[in-house]
Amino acid sequence: MAEAVVANNLVKRYGDFEAVKGISFRVKRGEAFALLGPNGAGKTTTVRMLTTLTSITSGEAYVNGFNVRTERLAVRRSIGLVPDVSNLYDELTVRENLLFMAKLYDAPRERVDELIREFELPADKKFGKLSTGFKRRATIAAALVHEPEVLFLDEPTNGLDVHSARAVRSLIRALNRRGMTVFITTHNMVEAETIPQRIAIMKAGRIVAEGKRSELAKLVGRKTVVRLSVEPMSSSLLRALERYNPSFEEGKLVFEVDNLDGFLEELCSLKVELGFRVTSLCTEIPGIEDVFVELTKCPCRGCPL
Amino acid sequence: MKVLTIAEKELREYLLKPGSISWGVVFPLVFTLAFAVRFGDVDHLAPGLLTISVLFGTTSFVSSSVIFERRLRTFERLLVAPVSYLEIVLAKVLTGSIFGLFVGLVSLLFLRFFMVYPIWSIPFLAVYLVLSAVAFSALGLYVSLVVENPINAMTWLNLIRLPMMFTSGAIVSLLLFPRWFIAVGLLTPMTYAVDGLRFAMLHYYDVVNPLYALLVLVLLAMVFVYLSVTRIERLY
Ligand SMILES: Nc1ncnc2c1ncn2[C@@H]1O[C@H](COP(=O)(O)OP(=O)(O)OP(=O)(O)O)[C@@H](O)[C@H]1O
Ligand SMILES: [Mg+2]
Repeated sequence: MAEAVVANNLVKRYGDFEAVKGISFRVKRGEAFALLGPNGAGKTTTVRMLTTLTSITSGEAYVNGFNVRTERLAVRRSIGLVPDVSNLYDELTVRENLLFMAKLYDAPRERVDELIREFELPADKKFGKLSTGFKRRATIAAALVHEPEVLFLDEPTNGLDVHSARAVRSLIRALNRRGMTVFITTHNMVEAETIPQRIAIMKAGRIVAEGKRSELAKLVGRKTVVRLSVEPMSSSLLRALERYNPSFEEGKLVFEVDNLDGFLEELCSLKVELGFRVTSLCTEIPGIEDVFVELTKCPCRGCPL
Repeated sequence: MKVLTIAEKELREYLLKPGSISWGVVFPLVFTLAFAVRFGDVDHLAPGLLTISVLFGTTSFVSSSVIFERRLRTFERLLVAPVSYLEIVLAKVLTGSIFGLFVGLVSLLFLRFFMVYPIWSIPFLAVYLVLSAVAFSALGLYVSLVVENPINAMTWLNLIRLPMMFTSGAIVSLLLFPRWFIAVGLLTPMTYAVDGLRFAMLHYYDVVNPLYALLVLVLLAMVFVYLSVTRIERLY
């Protein structure tokens, strides 16, 4: 099976409350995939279902080709989970923690030293005494002792300072580059911009949009903003660009364009023709944050509520 | 089987936790000593006091381990690993039993100091001690998994443990109570441990035939292990 994770119409009900309302998606092997959603969207619940930690109310899920309902041990053997809280054993040292995990998963002991070196972990410090950032790193390392095919990370950088968060993100990217399938959940935009190749935006138990970053950007119909200043400014230039509806902000011309490439091409030929100098040019491509805000605000288009 | 791997981790981790120490070591030993010093001739009290030590040692250890694991969510680390729930349950029962037997042995050393008669049968004593420890650990584990909020586990446990000290005949023989109270005694799991140990140490028993005591202890252990496994499946 080419897919690392398949979810078909997954539902999770807690009593009368439906936390996940029938979601479907596929994650290819080697891909980095993110579930992006606000608090309470159902991200953790989804991860817990996929990792056998909680039962599936209805629907089907496959991880590495194994049925999550009926082949729980096989699923567990092939995945690593970094839960939303770092949960190694406080009273054990980092090395003892990793050794325990290695024994639990029948992984070679050497793997532990390898991970301690790679993650630059303080091996002989008790886990409970580590800083939040190092707890996170150690928890990620613990999920990797058995070299799982799919790594699930639930809000991997939540609560970390900028430096630790960056370090963790680059660790995750490196794992993905080496071919590991990465499934993260997050409400952090930087993470959504930098780690996954594909994103599903989740809201109130449903997936409201899914695709590559560029595809999602198109979905909300935001245009690219171009800020331009030239010397000398001329009325012929303004006339030539009139159909882009320019406005002035702080002495700069501001355009909203659909097709950045076409716009720049036109600008270049005008430059040759009119002989002006570009003194500054900057573009703002709509980011995931714009898409996220657009799709998860309520009431909104694309939102089934 | 990963039972030993998990058990080793448990012992390293929880041996020194305050919950296991205060209720699991200090309480039974102080209790034993207090009775021994107060009554001097402890021979007839010895099996009951020993049972109390094992009961408190096992259940305190198991429940403090489950309380911490559920609260800090390290329990999920085991649940998501390629081990069955049965293996997890057996590992907890094993560590609880080891800890409880250790407390029991220390308490037995104290008691020996005050006892006049020799122990009737060491092998029988070993058998009933081990079976009691296993049954009590499984009971403690089940209770700790049943409470919604793990913080309350110790309270619930005391609500069960403290009355059992009286309804089991551990301190005052059930034969000294009205007849209907013997029925209460027979419904108390601890009664089987007390009478089993009484038989092993003193070669007589109050209400339960030693063979029945043995069978019931085995049965109790199996039932609570089974209930704990199904409880984990329900809980997650
Ligand atoms: N065990 C539970 N019992 C009842 N309701 C629950 C349970 N776990 C989660 N929920 C509810 O399900 C919904 C989804 O929760 P979930 O933790 O999956 O959200 P999330 O997207 O991970 O949010 P966050 O960003 O806060 O982590 C929430 O409304 C939550 O209150
Ligand atoms: Mg969450």
